[in-house]
Amino acid sequence: MRVVIAEDAAMMREGLVRLLTDRGFEVCAAVADPDALRSAIAGCVPDVAIIDIRMPPTHTDEGLRAAIDIRRDHPDVGVLMFSQYVETRYATRLLADRPTGVGYLLKDRVADVADFVDALTRVASGGTALDPEVVGHLMRAGRDTAGLASLTPRERDVLSLMAEGRSNAGIAAALVITPGVVEKHVASIFAKLGLPSSDSDNRRVLAVLRHVSR
Amino acid sequence: MTALRAPFTTLALRQAVFCVAGVAGALAVLAVPASVPALGAFVLWASGALATRPTPTVAPLFLVLFPLTLALLVVLAAPIGRAMGAAQRSLAARLLGVRVDPPPPRPSKRLGALVADGPGWRAVGYGLLKVPLAIPAGYGAFCYVFGLVNLSYPVWWPLFRNHPPGTTLGPVRALTPFGTLGTRTFAGTFLIAAAGLAMLYVAPWLMRAATALEVAAMRRLLGPRRLAERVRQLQVTRAQAIDDAAAMMRRLERDLHDGTQIRLATLAMNLGMATEKLGADGPPPDLAQARELVVLAHRGAKDALADLRDLVRGIHPPVLDNGLGDALATLATSSAIPVAVDVDLPDRPAPAIETIAYFCAAELLANAAKHSRASRVGLGVVGAGGRLTLTVEDDGVGGADPAGPGLSGLARRLAVVDGRIRVDSPPGGPTRVGIELPSYV
Repeated sequence: MRVVIAEDAAMMREGLVRLLTDRGFEVCAAVADPDALRSAIAGCVPDVAIIDIRMPPTHTDEGLRAAIDIRRDHPDVGVLMFSQYVETRYATRLLADRPTGVGYLLKDRVADVADFVDALTRVASGGTALDPEVVGHLMRAGRDTAGLASLTPRERDVLSLMAEGRSNAGIAAALVITPGVVEKHVASIFAKLGLPSSDSDNRRVLAVLRHVSR
Repeated sequence: MTALRAPFTTLALRQAVFCVAGVAGALAVLAVPASVPALGAFVLWASGALATRPTPTVAPLFLVLFPLTLALLVVLAAPIGRAMGAAQRSLAARLLGVRVDPPPPRPSKRLGALVADGPGWRAVGYGLLKVPLAIPAGYGAFCYVFGLVNLSYPVWWPLFRNHPPGTTLGPVRALTPFGTLGTRTFAGTFLIAAAGLAMLYVAPWLMRAATALEVAAMRRLLGPRRLAERVRQLQVTRAQAIDDAAAMMRRLERDLHDGTQIRLATLAMNLGMATEKLGADGPPPDLAQARELVVLAHRGAKDALADLRDLVRGIHPPVLDNGLGDALATLATSSAIPVAVDVDLPDRPAPAIETIAYFCAAELLANAAKHSRASRVGLGVVGAGGRLTLTVEDDGVGGADPAGPGLSGLARRLAVVDGRIRVDSPPGGPTRVGIELPSYV
């Protein structure tokens, strides 16, 4: 799997290269600014790009803007935004057009290598990976507090993991329950929130996010 | 030497021009009240009221026109005063390099605001004051100009000695402040020249006194009022304090974001990778790499700690809690150039003042280390009479620019607590920066 990394902090960039190479990814470019990122993407067309949101020259949202361009020009390239803080507006801007092949993770998440690699793989294959923090923000910002309040604590855990973009198997593994139980919870959540049920993980994420962030 | 050169400097010439302008201004001011009765007389004459035949009557036209003229004068006095004040301020700025801030502008264009314009009427008062002030100014300018003229008598005297011998000539006269001098002989012209020289040497003193009086009057009457000035100054420094606080928070966020946070994330990543290399249980799958990663993480943790320590010291050096003396002594030991610290503080200033003084000292020492190429620096703090004075002097190359970003930033931060900075740094050195602060906010 081919990866491009755009991260201006050299230490972090080198660490990521090491981690991904070690895990069998092919890092075809590791760059430090948005312009270099754009030409790297055009040059090697990776499966996924890891992009720091704050990059030179202004250190505000250059990375995000580059990501939106990349998603427009190269729809097949997954984009994983990488940041040290959660900004709900960035997440909604990214998800606005289509919630496929996109992720938004806190940089802290690299500490759990397996989870991080799992999220990256998901984004590369067209899935979604939202940071639990992002999901939490979206849920708190959401209006449907009555619908959410009717969920059991377990169902709420499942909903959060769904919103992060995980599959039933992933949710089952994270909560240490069987996939069958997950399915039952999912069905119950969709019924309680009045959402049309859906098999595809992506459409499911979309439905959940639309619901919580409405 | 300076006293000998005094009349022949551009400053004397500029002062002379300023004095002449002052006299002209006073004459113009005098002309205004004189013009009112003259105008009345003109109106009376034009309307036939002064005619003896038939019976002299005060023409109705006069009864209407004269009060109207007076009313117009009242309405126009303040704007004219303002215009004159502006002209005078720019004259003083150009000729004497004296800057007097303009008063606040008129609040509105309405007639009421025109008449009730305080700064405008103060300027009118200044105009009236010009009349007595013109006396020393005129005297000074007279001495200067006629001092030069009298000095020249011996030069042109021989040029006029072309009449037939035996002709009786009237005396040649010269003006002095004590009346006229007359002479019929060449030798006499030297007396006149001597009088001229004396006038020329007295003139700078007279002109200096006259301009000093003028400038004092300008500052009181043409500038903003004390209170208004203070309010304006406080507004400016408050805005700067708010800006500085916001900038400080931004810098802090940036430092944490780009430094410590990155280090900690990388550290966590390395530990995460090491954990994987060690495996969940049983013998580790890749012990060598795990060791390497742990070493990396260990170093990262130490770097993160050093980063944080620097950051914390940048926010508030803990040693400052022991007093400014200790803090400055600690600061001096970390300087690249040897620093001699001399602190004389009978009692502790307010914490905020200590903090400002500390960071000023830190910045000045850093400047000295960066730019001065000095071999030693003296850092002195003296507290007396509710004021704290901090001086940093080095034996370096000088040329520090008080308008540069560093020093002007210091001046801005000091202004918030009514502190002042004085930079004395001629090219070639040495540099001496003095900072004066109130001991309490």
